[in-house]
Amino acid sequence: MSHQHEEHESSHKPPVRKEMSRRQFLTYTLGGATAFMVAGVTLPMVRFAVDPILRDKGEGAFVKVAEVSKITNEPQEFHFELKQQDGWYLSTANLVAWIRKDESGNIYALSPICKHLGCTVGWNSNSNFPDQYHCPCHGAHYTKEGKQLAVASKPLDEYKVMIKDDWVYLGEIVPNTIVS
Amino acid sequence: MAHNDKSKQEKVVFVGDSRVRRGNGFVTPPDYTAYPGKSEAFIPNFLLKEWMVGVVVLVGFLVLTISEPAPLGFPADPSASVIPMPDWYFLFLYQYLKYPYASGNYVILGTIGIPTVAFGALLLAPFLDTSKERRFYKRPIASALMFLSLASLVYLTNFAWTHYKHELEKAGVEPEHIQREEQALENRLAGLPPAGSEPQAEIAIVDKDDPAMEFYTKATCISCHGADLKGSGGPSLRGIGDKHDKEAILAIIKEGYNGKMPEMYTAAMNAGLTDEDVDHLAEWLAKQKAEAVE
Amino acid sequence: MFKNVYDWIDERLDITPIWRDVADHEVPEHVNPAHHFSAFVYCFGGLTFFITVIQILSGMFLTMYYVPDIINAYKSVEYLQTQVAFGQIVRGMHHWGASLVIVMMFLHTLRVFFTGSYKAPREMNWVVGMLIFFVMIGLGLTGYLLPWDNKAYFATKVTLEIANSIPVLGPVMKELLQGGTIVGAETLTRFFAIHVFFLPAVLLILLVGHFIMIRRQGISGPL
Repeated sequence: MSHQHEEHESSHKPPVRKEMSRRQFLTYTLGGATAFMVAGVTLPMVRFAVDPILRDKGEGAFVKVAEVSKITNEPQEFHFELKQQDGWYLSTANLVAWIRKDESGNIYALSPICKHLGCTVGWNSNSNFPDQYHCPCHGAHYTKEGKQLAVASKPLDEYKVMIKDDWVYLGEIVPNTIVS
Repeated sequence: MAHNDKSKQEKVVFVGDSRVRRGNGFVTPPDYTAYPGKSEAFIPNFLLKEWMVGVVVLVGFLVLTISEPAPLGFPADPSASVIPMPDWYFLFLYQYLKYPYASGNYVILGTIGIPTVAFGALLLAPFLDTSKERRFYKRPIASALMFLSLASLVYLTNFAWTHYKHELEKAGVEPEHIQREEQALENRLAGLPPAGSEPQAEIAIVDKDDPAMEFYTKATCISCHGADLKGSGGPSLRGIGDKHDKEAILAIIKEGYNGKMPEMYTAAMNAGLTDEDVDHLAEWLAKQKAEAVE
Repeated sequence: MFKNVYDWIDERLDITPIWRDVADHEVPEHVNPAHHFSAFVYCFGGLTFFITVIQILSGMFLTMYYVPDIINAYKSVEYLQTQVAFGQIVRGMHHWGASLVIVMMFLHTLRVFFTGSYKAPREMNWVVGMLIFFVMIGLGLTGYLLPWDNKAYFATKVTLEIANSIPVLGPVMKELLQGGTIVGAETLTRFFAIHVFFLPAVLLILLVGHFIMIRRQGISGPL
C-alpha cells in the first residue's frame, strides 16, 4: 500500500493544504476496523493468559512449627507442612527448616536448600566441618547464620518468622537477612 | 490471466542464482470487465465493507459471550442418570436414528445407507447437477431436494429439542449446567468459596459409631447414598449438615427432594424404624458438617 | 526504514506480486453489499473464516489451562471458567464460536448451492468446502467431550454407540475412537489429540486449498 500513498502524494504536491484523499480515508478506516477486530478478539485472551502474573499473591500464610521453649542455640531440624493451592490442585508441600536462637535470643529459621545447585544441606552432617551446614553434593558449607564458606555464592535463605503465643510460625522464604 | 501472452515475451530475470524472479513490482490482477456494473479493488474498498459486517458480527458475538457463560455441568459420572443430549447441530441425526427405518433391523440403512447417500450427494453435487443453469428455479430437482432436506433438518431438530424439553419437564429436572450455576450462586451468597477453589479434601463422617448409622442402612438410604455416605446413585451426604438443618432433612425424608429423591419415610417405617429413630437419623445427618471433623 | 526492510525482503523473495494480487484484485459489483444489500449473503464465507480464526486463537489460549485427563479435565475447565480473569469470556468464545461457525458455514453452503456457484469450473472447490464442513463437524464432536461433564460424557457414549452400529467396521471404529473398551481416560486423550492436532491440521490444509482456488478462479459471475 505504501507505494500508492507515495504516488498519490507526489501527484498532489502543488496544493499546500493537505486534505485526506478518499483512498487514505478508506485505508485509515480499514486500519481502524482491523485494529478493533484484532483488539476485540485478542484482548480477552491475552488478559486470560497473563492472569497468573496479575493475580493477587497474598501474604504467604504462616504455619505453626515449633514451641519457642524448644528452640536452642544449636540449630534444630523441624518438619512442617504447607498447603498450596496450585490452580485447581491443592497439595501439601513438606518443608524443612533449621531453627535456632542466636546469642541475643532472636529466633531465625534457615531453609536447607543449598544455594549452589539446590541440594539439601544438613547441620553437622560432615565431620570435617563441625558446627556448619554442609551440602553433600558439591561440598558447599555454611556457618550457622547461613553465611556461605565455599562453593555457593549466596547465603542460605531464611523463613519469615513470627512468634505468637509461645509458638514459632514460619512464613515464606526470603533471602538471608542475618549475614548480609 | 489474460496477460499471459505479454509476460511470455518478457525476459525472465532471476535474483542471484535463486529461482525467484526479479519482478517489476506489479502484477496486473484479473479484471471483471466481462461483468456488468462497477467493480472495486479488494483492499481497501471492498474489504472495508466486508469488515464492517465483521465488526457488527464481532460486537454481537462478544455481547453473547459476556452475557451468556458457556454451560458446564457436573463432572462426568458413569452412574449418574442424565438424559443424553448431543450438541444442537447433531440433533437432527440423533432424532432421525430413532425412527423405525433407521434403527432396529434397519440400523444399517439408518447409519450407513441414508447418510452415505445424503452426504455423498451433497459432496458430489457438482457432478450430479451438471447443467449449465445456475438459477435455483431453473434446476428444480436439485433445488427441490435441497429444500426437502432443509425442511427435514428443521423438523427433526425442532422435534428432538421439544422432546428433550418435554423429558426434562417430566423428570422435573433442570439441565445440569443451570443446576451447577444455581449451586455456585448459592455458595457465593452464603459466603462459601465457589466449588472450583474448594479443596477437594474428603469430608469425614461425624460420629461414625452413632446408632443412626444403623438406621441409615435399615431405611435403605444406603442404596442411593452409599454405604460410606459418599453417594452412588444419589448425591453424597458427607457434610450435608452444611446445606440443610435437621428440620429440612426431616422434610426431605418425608416429602422427597427436587423430584429426584422419593419420599423415604414409608420405607423407613416398613423397615421397622420408629419416629424417634427417623428423628435421630435426621439429627445425626444435620451434624454432618465439613468443619466439625477437625 | 520499513520500506528498506520491505525492499530487502522483496528483492530476495519477490513477494510483491503475491500480495498485490490479493490486495488489488477487483471485486465485482454483484457481491458488494454496498451496491446491492442482498449481496450480504456473499459475506458468510468470510465470516466463517473470521470465526474460525477466533476458534483457533481461543482454543490455543484455552490449552494454557486445560488438562486432557479424566481427573483434572473438569476441574481445570471449572477453574479457568470461574477463577481465571476473562476465563468465562474466552471459554464462551470457543463454545459459542463453535456453534456460530457451523451456522455461518451452513449459510455459506446454502448461498453457494442456491446461486449454483459450485458448477463448472468450481466443482473441486465445492468438494473441498464440503470436506471442510465434515472436518468442522468432527471438531464439534470431539470438542464436546473435552470439559468431561455429564452432558459431554453421555453424548459421546451415544455417538460411539452410533458408530458401533455400523456393520463389520463399527465395533473396530468404536474401539479405535474410544481407545479401549469403555469411554474413559483413553477416550479423552484421543479426542483431545484429534480435536487439537489432527483435525486442525487437516482444516488448515483444506482452507489454504479453498482460498487458492477462489483466487485462481475468481468469484462466480452474477446470475
